[in-house]
Amino acid sequence: MSLPWPEKDDQQLLALIQDGSQEAFSVLVQRHTERFYRLAFRYLHNKETAEDVVQDAFVKLWEDPGKWQAERKNKFTTWFYRIVVNLCLDWQKKKKPLELGDQELSIADQRETPDAEMLRNEKQEVLEKEIAALPERQRTALNLCFDEGLSNQEAAEVMGLKLKALQSLVMRAKSTLKERMRNYL
Amino acid sequence: MAIHEDEKLDEMLKARRIQAANPDLAQRIILKAQNTPQIEVFSLGRWLREAFAELHLPNPAYVLAGTLIMGFVIGLNVPSETPTDNVDILQVQSFLDSDEGIL
Repeated sequence: MSLPWPEKDDQQLLALIQDGSQEAFSVLVQRHTERFYRLAFRYLHNKETAEDVVQDAFVKLWEDPGKWQAERKNKFTTWFYRIVVNLCLDWQKKKKPLELGDQELSIADQRETPDAEMLRNEKQEVLEKEIAALPERQRTALNLCFDEGLSNQEAAEVMGLKLKALQSLVMRAKSTLKERMRNYL
Repeated sequence: MAIHEDEKLDEMLKARRIQAANPDLAQRIILKAQNTPQIEVFSLGRWLREAFAELHLPNPAYVLAGTLIMGFVIGLNVPSETPTDNVDILQVQSFLDSDEGIL
């Protein structure tokens, strides 16, 4: 007897998508949209653009599911993180540099005084600008390890790096940020 | 001091905020995909299923084909060399030998 849709793992769903199953595609999209949106947003700092990139990535997967090759033994998420990161980088190359500051990121904490809230927002804004200014690979490593909560090993697989190289990227990124954010630490 | 700074930076990195996606994003993606044709991937299983779906043969035809295949397989498994062949050769040899004796 076959498993109910939500209990099928990603690999099983992808095999069904390759057979043209729209139900399998729906389950996969509902399962993973949020996490890939988060990653795209970290790169693009714009809700609409991040949504478009995630949509684009999933529709490309639907159009040509043969791109996913189960025999390579990759996890679907590892493979798809790479696709989303590449799409974000392509988008950034095509578009002008990011405009930070007009995002609705701040959700006011009712217990905070206006001064504390302002300082927190300012810190956050500076941090985002400094992260955006990091070299691309350092930024990717940081986003994968901190925002996505991937282990260093998983992040290294997404980036196609050895573990040591990934750790070194994260360390360099953090030491640059520490230096530039000194006034806020 | 440096450890303290490291911890604070880690805290800040973990506390980065994000603007939530539209709740209907997943649905939008699904709808978009429904209107997008899929590039077909060759899969043996799918090809066989489609081939059988298109092949509407009556049941006796499958029985006949099965019987023929079984007959063919059984035929291949029966040794082609029979003992009578060897007997014939021996008889001819002994006849020739007896001729030579008379001469």
